[in-house]
Amino acid sequence: MSTRIDPETAAGLEPPAPAGAERNYFKRDLFASIVIIALIAFAMEAWSWVAPVYIMPSVVLTGDEILTILGEDYIHIVTTILRLLFAVAFSLVVGSLIGVVMGIVRPAEPFIKALVVIFTGVPALSWMLFAIFWFRGTEERVFFILAVILIPFYALNVYDGIKALSTDLIEVVETFRPSRWQVFRLLILPHIVPYVLMTTKSIIGYAARMTAFAELVSVNTGMGARMGLAQDELNMQGVIGWTILLVIVNLGVQAIVAWAEKRLLKWRPEVSVR
Amino acid sequence: MTAVEARTVIELDRVDRYFGAHPAVLDLSFRVMEGEIVALLGRTGAGKSTALHMIMGVLEPTRGTVRVEGLDPYAQFKELRGRLSVSFQNDRLLPWRAAWENVALGLEILGFDKETQRSRAIEWLENVKIVGEENVRKYPHELSGGMRQRVSLARALCVDPALVLLDESFSQLDHVTSKALRSDFTELVRRLGKTCVLITHRIDDALEMADRILVLAAPAKLALEVRVTADRRADAAWLETQHAAIAAAMGGEDETEAA
Ligand SMILES: Nc1ncnc2c1ncn2[C@@H]1O[C@H](COP(=O)(O)OP(=O)(O)O)[C@@H](O)[C@H]1O
Ligand SMILES: [Mg+2]
Repeated sequence: MSTRIDPETAAGLEPPAPAGAERNYFKRDLFASIVIIALIAFAMEAWSWVAPVYIMPSVVLTGDEILTILGEDYIHIVTTILRLLFAVAFSLVVGSLIGVVMGIVRPAEPFIKALVVIFTGVPALSWMLFAIFWFRGTEERVFFILAVILIPFYALNVYDGIKALSTDLIEVVETFRPSRWQVFRLLILPHIVPYVLMTTKSIIGYAARMTAFAELVSVNTGMGARMGLAQDELNMQGVIGWTILLVIVNLGVQAIVAWAEKRLLKWRPEVSVR
Repeated sequence: MTAVEARTVIELDRVDRYFGAHPAVLDLSFRVMEGEIVALLGRTGAGKSTALHMIMGVLEPTRGTVRVEGLDPYAQFKELRGRLSVSFQNDRLLPWRAAWENVALGLEILGFDKETQRSRAIEWLENVKIVGEENVRKYPHELSGGMRQRVSLARALCVDPALVLLDESFSQLDHVTSKALRSDFTELVRRLGKTCVLITHRIDDALEMADRILVLAAPAKLALEVRVTADRRADAAWLETQHAAIAAAMGGEDETEAA
């Protein structure tokens, strides 16, 4: 058989997306970001000429402060990042499992859903205050606050995902007579991955800010707590320095999520076209 | 073929299936022998899919018995593991799995190792004329409708089942694609000696592919049985007469889209 490839096969071959397109966007965006950062730095510098140092310190002073932090206080940055990642990972697993149970165990659905909706309605600040009353340890406090805020997001989104799972796909997997565990591993798990990733993408920035806020309110280690300390000492370059580092951490974790999304969702047309 | 020697693969005995008070299948009895290609032909809503679901074991008959390889497919669901597989009207590929991984789905469920899964999947893709590393690794959204349906057929065949069930697997494709796929599939199934039940609402497809046609009139009741041979298939006059007889038995030719 010399010609096994039929016209249909050939028609399925689409030219690969131009590889340069993405890099051009990246360059363009990077350029724009640099311009904006330079403008902000310039505005701060200009302001510092006319304002006292506790209102707006100069760029050089702030830069010095950041270097000092990186040299002596970096442990607080590491602490915050670890707290954030650990709490997000935990919430992701637990929240997703709750979402799956809601979607699969029909009688449990309305109860868990009511619980989740009520929990989402409680202000983050209340959780922070509760945490101070309920927990002595600092790690427990931050962890509790983040988990209790993040778990409902995962639970609700994954629940929506399970509801969107097509009965056609369930039926076709069932034709091979799988075990329950196989149905979970081969169908449900890969199906909810996009929902989990989308949730992570949308909450990660919020979670990073929430971590700093929780640290400010309830503990004395981590970036948020150090920022509070700088404020107590009227150390404005410290406040700005920590803020800049928080922005960098925030962007960093978002970049990690974006990277994970690209790797894990390469099968989705939406992602490969972007 | 001596009917005495052939093994019975499917047996339906006076099967009824009601949805509420509504009968979808009434008093349906038939057998399918090993190596046979049997078409269940009927208008949309005649109860073909309902009959197929009972053979698959996902639906329990209200009355009567269904046997597949001597087992009750509903009560002994797990025992038929790897013995039958199904392809549907739509391809139902898992979008996160590359073409070969979709084909390997059944093998993975049956517990074959990754190496075997991959080599067998690629072999079956070749059988349905999908070749080349870059095609084998494509995701469903990168394939044309015809190719997706080919992958779906390869997935059904890959577990080497004794019985292959097709529910309108060629109905959603355009004319040319559907014709090519039908002849490739029939040729393959005959070469492998597989037993096959295919559901269709198109008289010509049934005449083209099947050894035997069971014509169902709603609610699924056997209205006519037609045996087709290679000689008869080549005989235009015979085909024309049968076409007319079948259309009459079905209660008119059905040109709507299948369901
Ligand atoms: N799950 C169901 N619940 C209620 N009625 C159904 C169900 N499945 C099929 N039916 C009814 O049974 C009849 C036969 O349907 P079906 O077997 O899908 O026909 P076909 O596949 O021949 O088009 C139809 O009247 C349909 O409405
Ligand atoms: Mg049908």
